Amino acid sequence: MKKSSIFGIVVIAIAIAVIISTYGSSSTYGSFTEAKQTQSDLHVIGYLDKNKELYYDAHKDANYFSFYMKDKKGNESKVVFTGTKPQDFERSEQIVLVGHMSGNEFHASHIQMKCPSKYTQDKVETTEADAKQGSI
Amino acid sequence: MNIAYQGEHLLPGQLGQFFIVLAFGSALFSTISYYFAATSTNKLDTSWLWMGRIGYFLNSISVVGIGTCLFYIIYSNLFEYHYAWEHSSRTLPVYYIISSFWEGQEGSFWLWGFWQAVLGNILIWKAKSWEKPVLTIVALAQTFLASMLLGVDIFGARIGSSPFILLRQALQAPIFSRPEYLSFIKDGNGLNPLLQNYWMVIHPPTLFLGFASMIVPFAYAIAGLWMKRYKEWVQPAISYSLFAVMVLGTGVVMGSLWAYESLNFGGFWAWDPVENAALIPWLTLIGAVHVLIVYKNTGHAYFTATFLTLISFILVLYASFLTRSGILGDTSVHAFTDLGMFWHLVVDVAVFFVIAVTLVILRWKELPISKKEEETYSREFWMFVGAVFLALSCLQLIVVTSIPVWNAMFKTHIAPPTNPVTLYNVFQAGFAVVVTLLAGITQFLKYKKTDATRFFITTGIYFVFSALITGLVVYITGVYHLRFVFVLVMFGATYSLLANTKVLTDAFKGKIKLAGSAVAHIGFGLMMVGALISAGTSKVISQNDTGLDYGVDFAKGNNPRENIMLYKNEPVKMGDYMVTYFADSTKGPNHYFKVDYKRLDANGKITEEFVLKPNSQSNPKMGLVSSPDTKHYLFHDLYTHVSMAPAEDFQTGEDAGHGQENDDANYNPPTTHEIKVGDTIPYRDGSIILVSLNKEAHVQNIPLSANDVAVGAELKIISHGNTYNAEPVFMVKNGSVFDFSRKVDDAGLKLRLSKIIPEKDKVEITVYDQPESKKPYIVMRAIEFPYINFLWTGTIIMIIGFLLSIFRRNKELKSV
Repeated sequence: MKKSSIFGIVVIAIAIAVIISTYGSSSTYGSFTEAKQTQSDLHVIGYLDKNKELYYDAHKDANYFSFYMKDKKGNESKVVFTGTKPQDFERSEQIVLVGHMSGNEFHASHIQMKCPSKYTQDKVETTEADAKQGSI
Repeated sequence: MNIAYQGEHLLPGQLGQFFIVLAFGSALFSTISYYFAATSTNKLDTSWLWMGRIGYFLNSISVVGIGTCLFYIIYSNLFEYHYAWEHSSRTLPVYYIISSFWEGQEGSFWLWGFWQAVLGNILIWKAKSWEKPVLTIVALAQTFLASMLLGVDIFGARIGSSPFILLRQALQAPIFSRPEYLSFIKDGNGLNPLLQNYWMVIHPPTLFLGFASMIVPFAYAIAGLWMKRYKEWVQPAISYSLFAVMVLGTGVVMGSLWAYESLNFGGFWAWDPVENAALIPWLTLIGAVHVLIVYKNTGHAYFTATFLTLISFILVLYASFLTRSGILGDTSVHAFTDLGMFWHLVVDVAVFFVIAVTLVILRWKELPISKKEEETYSREFWMFVGAVFLALSCLQLIVVTSIPVWNAMFKTHIAPPTNPVTLYNVFQAGFAVVVTLLAGITQFLKYKKTDATRFFITTGIYFVFSALITGLVVYITGVYHLRFVFVLVMFGATYSLLANTKVLTDAFKGKIKLAGSAVAHIGFGLMMVGALISAGTSKVISQNDTGLDYGVDFAKGNNPRENIMLYKNEPVKMGDYMVTYFADSTKGPNHYFKVDYKRLDANGKITEEFVLKPNSQSNPKMGLVSSPDTKHYLFHDLYTHVSMAPAEDFQTGEDAGHGQENDDANYNPPTTHEIKVGDTIPYRDGSIILVSLNKEAHVQNIPLSANDVAVGAELKIISHGNTYNAEPVFMVKNGSVFDFSRKVDDAGLKLRLSKIIPEKDKVEITVYDQPESKKPYIVMRAIEFPYINFLWTGTIIMIIGFLLSIFRRNKELKSV
């Protein structure tokens, strides 16, 4: 067998591995109900329940922020984020969480929210917050 | 209905719009003329050529004209124009007007077009026999860029987005039906405070020069296929490719340095789709450079060289589609917003893609693809392998970054990985191992054929040395805690460093031609080492374990607690440091929190002390926007940023205009203490000592007569190692009793001399201390990045390497 054919096969194998791993590692968009049925992390899209308590008190704990979110199916859950309250969280129009259910609380490791931009009219701004410093 | 609007300056906009149309028309004219010049068989007829040139010059002048008009509009605060209103404001300093100039999509398209115009003129001057076909392609790209700015309606569809659109055309509001609407628009929106930074002045021009210069190797490759000059295009393409990767690489690293120095995501690289978009074409073009050199020296790898050169520019266009079409939507924080140019951008990618594919297919049979296989022990074979691995690493970036594109194409609803950073890191590290190792190994191989035994001996020796050094470095820095693949990257980078250092020493002995590549490889190796250690072993030193118990569910998650609470003037131990938030200062819109760092040795002696000033901008439009401050050491950085500060902190003035009772509400219920001179009152944060009583106290503006008495209590407050003085005054004036309290804000105290008890020789001091919730504080995060300077010095060394290589290749170019 020619050397270049062997190399070609290796390259194709790696390319396939890349595609499969991407598909394998990709997550799903789900609801709180689905989150209760699985152990793994998933994305939940929803809206902040502005009638319920938004709790962050730096004096008690600078790393505890909790709120209530309704997912797209209308189910509501308490969400806990280990970190500071992201700026303008109250004004968010849509929230994307990454995390998992733990008991009756959803533990978010990553919050992405969309706010009406204060800076540019009629535009929506996206901001993110992570609970943990990225590590390799 | 026509309304005669008052106070509008329509001329600069109309002029600008005229230039846009002219830029588009002249570029199209130039493309067509150059096309006919290139295909004309009559060698003596230069009329097409001259028409092409005139078109291109006209386009260049128009591009400058567009820039001048836009700059004038922003500089003169003509807020009747949407672009000026959206991106600038009256208070913006002049040098940031440049930043606001290219903050928007239209401005950045202009920047790209400007550089492409400059490069086109250089090519007209330098390209000689290549001018006609190469400029056909460059002018076509220029036509597309100009079309992005057109902003005209054709068949009901808006083509492009013009920076000269008026505010009243861009927004729908009742105010615009009033002729004098402009008198209500006092100021623009202003520039996003995060972009008010000198990096925003220099980073975009560098990055876009990089993107713009990618067209040149592409145009040469196309010209080579088109004119059937299959071999000749390679030599000039090498020089221009080297230039493009140098500039684009610089731009990318500038972006990461900017993110690291002044944004708050806590690092220099986040694999954000926008970052990936710039890296993707860089990886393929750096691969292309290597195989182009292989082809030039050996005649092998022709197709790979052509393919990588062509795909690099198509990926530039694809990257611009990703970041500008709005398709990334949910997955990137800083992609541009959708300007409704989705299909326009798709067409741009498609046109160049089709041109490239068609030409390759048409010329396939004539391509000088070598039938012979490369030798196993030859430099060309392993350089080729390395280039393919660079392309594979690029493929992984594309596949993952494009998840929203796959969703749009296949109507699926896949979410991005929950931990994309780890996924990218592991894969890219795997490719980096191969690439860095090959960058070392190929140095011991010769073109065509190498003596295998000798090769194995030298390689073996360097392998052993690299393994030893890697072991040591990995042990000292703690990289061994990471996944094994990262240890391998360390090994690869070390190997590459050693092998190329050897080449560099040889270069000094006379083989000076080799210096460029050796230096560039050394720089790249250092970058890998720096990035790996600093990202892999960065440590959050503001770990906080003091929070309350929120129940079992919460504790079970083993959550990271990376923020630390600092009350003003209360030192907190953080890692090896004692940190104190001790003062604030404001400059412009920035509010600086001064944080004192003290490093103590075992005996409690201070070995080092410095102050960091992370800042926040309290911007009425943006809310709190914080920027970090970093202490740089030779071998590590200490990065600090404020993640939260009480909003009250931003209101200047201390309780001005509030009544006494109102003010008392800011304190805990007072305690009274009867004490003698020399006695001490303990309180929560320290102690208060009555030093003496001052019988001749004065209170400003209150004259005292002979019958009046005023006594001051000289108090010394010791709190957390700081000493403060205060003198509350007790006064009897005209038979009435007053007392004047004194506040010590830094200690959170208010003190009154509330009674004098002569019979006991005592006085009564009333102490108001602030509850914690009223005390000023910041919530802060601090991260240590070890050896990050390797990343930055590596970059500089790599750029020097590229420069040396460009000089060398240019010399070869002249001698041919």
